[in-house]
Amino acid sequence: MTGREPAWRVLAQEFDASVEEEKGVGERAASYLLSPLGARMNRVLVAGVLSAAETVGRDPENPFYRARLQDPTGTIRVTAGGFQPRAMAALREVGTPIPALVVGKVHLFRGRDGTAYASVRAEAVRPATAEEVRHHLADAVEQTADRIRLVEALRAEPVGSDSPIAGFPAAWVRSAREARRRYPAVDPATFRGPLNGVLRTVTGEEPLPAVPVASLPAAPPPVPTSSTARAPATVTRALPPAPPRAPSAAERAEESAFLDVIDQLSEQSADGYADLKEVVRAAARTGVTSQRAEELLGRLEETGAVEEPIVGKLRRA
Amino acid sequence: MAISPNSEPGPPPEVRLRDLRANSDPVSIVARVVTAQRREVTRKSDGGRRPVLSGLLTDGTASVRFTWWDPPNEPIETGEILRAVNVQVREWQGRIEVSFNWKSRVAPAGEAELPEVPPDSMPVRPLNGLRAGDDGVRIVGRVVRVAPKTVSVGEERRLLHEGVVADASGAVAFTAWSDFGLRPGEAIDVSGGYARGFRGRPQLVLDERSTVRRVPGDGLPPSESLLTGVPRSVADIEAAGGGELLEVRGVVVGLLPPSGLVHRCPQCRRSVRQGICRVHGTVEPEPDLRARLVLDDGTGALTVNAGRLETERLWGRTLEDCLRELTATGDPSRLEEHLFTTVFGRRIVVRGRGSADDFGVTIQPESIEPATADIAARAGELRTKLQGAGR
Repeated sequence: MTGREPAWRVLAQEFDASVEEEKGVGERAASYLLSPLGARMNRVLVAGVLSAAETVGRDPENPFYRARLQDPTGTIRVTAGGFQPRAMAALREVGTPIPALVVGKVHLFRGRDGTAYASVRAEAVRPATAEEVRHHLADAVEQTADRIRLVEALRAEPVGSDSPIAGFPAAWVRSAREARRRYPAVDPATFRGPLNGVLRTVTGEEPLPAVPVASLPAAPPPVPTSSTARAPATVTRALPPAPPRAPSAAERAEESAFLDVIDQLSEQSADGYADLKEVVRAAARTGVTSQRAEELLGRLEETGAVEEPIVGKLRRA
Repeated sequence: MAISPNSEPGPPPEVRLRDLRANSDPVSIVARVVTAQRREVTRKSDGGRRPVLSGLLTDGTASVRFTWWDPPNEPIETGEILRAVNVQVREWQGRIEVSFNWKSRVAPAGEAELPEVPPDSMPVRPLNGLRAGDDGVRIVGRVVRVAPKTVSVGEERRLLHEGVVADASGAVAFTAWSDFGLRPGEAIDVSGGYARGFRGRPQLVLDERSTVRRVPGDGLPPSESLLTGVPRSVADIEAAGGGELLEVRGVVVGLLPPSGLVHRCPQCRRSVRQGICRVHGTVEPEPDLRARLVLDDGTGALTVNAGRLETERLWGRTLEDCLRELTATGDPSRLEEHLFTTVFGRRIVVRGRGSADDFGVTIQPESIEPATADIAARAGELRTKLQGAGR
């Protein structure tokens, strides 16, 4: 029996921490992204606040869109192209950020240095009510907590054991053991803390997360911001401390130095792109912290000076 | 120490099928033929052909496969009772088998020679341990539902009763070829039934050889709890290969073709393409609605085959609405797309029976309801669970 691949319920933190790939063999073999908690993802169902989509690439014959889905633990990149017409049409309709559900296939891009960037190639996208998103976040919290519990239970067993674990699907146990082998250094407990924060969003004590400024349209978002809104702790592109304003001369100088780094790296690279992680490392050598680098990048992408046509790959626009 | 089958001291002992042991000394058995098929095998050594008859035997205590080398030319009929002396017993793929060879003597026997099996002497089998091919089974369960049905068997029309019987371990579908006067809710002790495979699931079959006794049913789940069902995960249902009285909650993540407005053969209800039924040829197709929903709970995905009523309820459109829209737009794929956007992401509870095939589990729903959950209560439970685990 070869059933359909399940849609794993994951939060951005776990998704973003996933770098291990499993490729099937044979014809039409599925490939999987293995998370540190043992989610063996070919397909995921994720919910959050979806930003307006940007087009990627310049070929009008081959449209490709990319958006960001923000949940309380971080951001997931969502893409759709001509092979996902239904999802692409839905992505294009997103104007201001809206709560949404996305189901799609997991796509892993690996940079030349081996760094992995995961994204979701959407099969279907649908605007949702805030309540629907909260229900889905509750599912994700529950299943993430289950996976943490499973991975922790496996730490107690001897290596090489293959006995079933009561209360967990056999497939979960298998992939959790594989995750334990592939991510020996990851402490599953680090994924538990953020779940409490997600639960505050589930109950409505906190609103749905805001979308990072980098992908916002010019107008400020009309949706769920209140005075209590906080930037989530682990977003990949953190919110700048203040709303966008005209940059100072010092900032301009910093930006231009940063652009030089991108130029230099893309010239050296074979594919003509500067690798995001390399850029951040190079910037660090000039005294720019990685958080500052993310902010700069966000601003540069927003102004259109830099684009990221492939996840994790930068070039001058 | 094996006794030579040709040595004089009397025929080997007569053994009930339940008591057969692999690689024991030759034995004698009396049993009824359940199925028998004649074929020929080719000898490797000289390419000669050798006839062989194989099938299933039962004596009411158990059923075993048999292989009869060089059987007589007269046909062996299903239902015939045989006495076989000096047969070999072996195990193959975990099941006991007997074989009749040149040393064995096989002769017809009478009904009275079959071992008498008092129903109480048979062990009661839990329903979740039933496997297709089991014979002479005894179960104690509660009839969850039962309904008469008329079928054609060859030329004749026969009345049978179909339903579901459950015990604490699980539930299976049953077919009764004789009328035992079964009523929903009553507890029964059945002996002399057999199990066959139906769409990947074992199904209990009762016929004129079976006996049904009413019992108090202590220890069986009460009828009310059987009808509401216990929610199960998709992974669990996949592992069991489907099941009866399923209840599963999940999110609709996809829609498989054909869904939406379909056309059916007026005679057999099969889907019709271009007005041609693959059994009845060119027909005047009847429009219908259906939805093949992909239901996913994060542990797995299964297909829910929603019929017209459920589809209309989920969609909020009637068949007439759809036909009107089709006349206006002339594009049936628009309808399917609209159905998809309506159902995608919906949280539902499905109850029904599930069967498994190469493409996974499919549920024929008895009901599809929106899943309701108190989000605050759920968050509270999850918080307690997290705090408990964090310590």
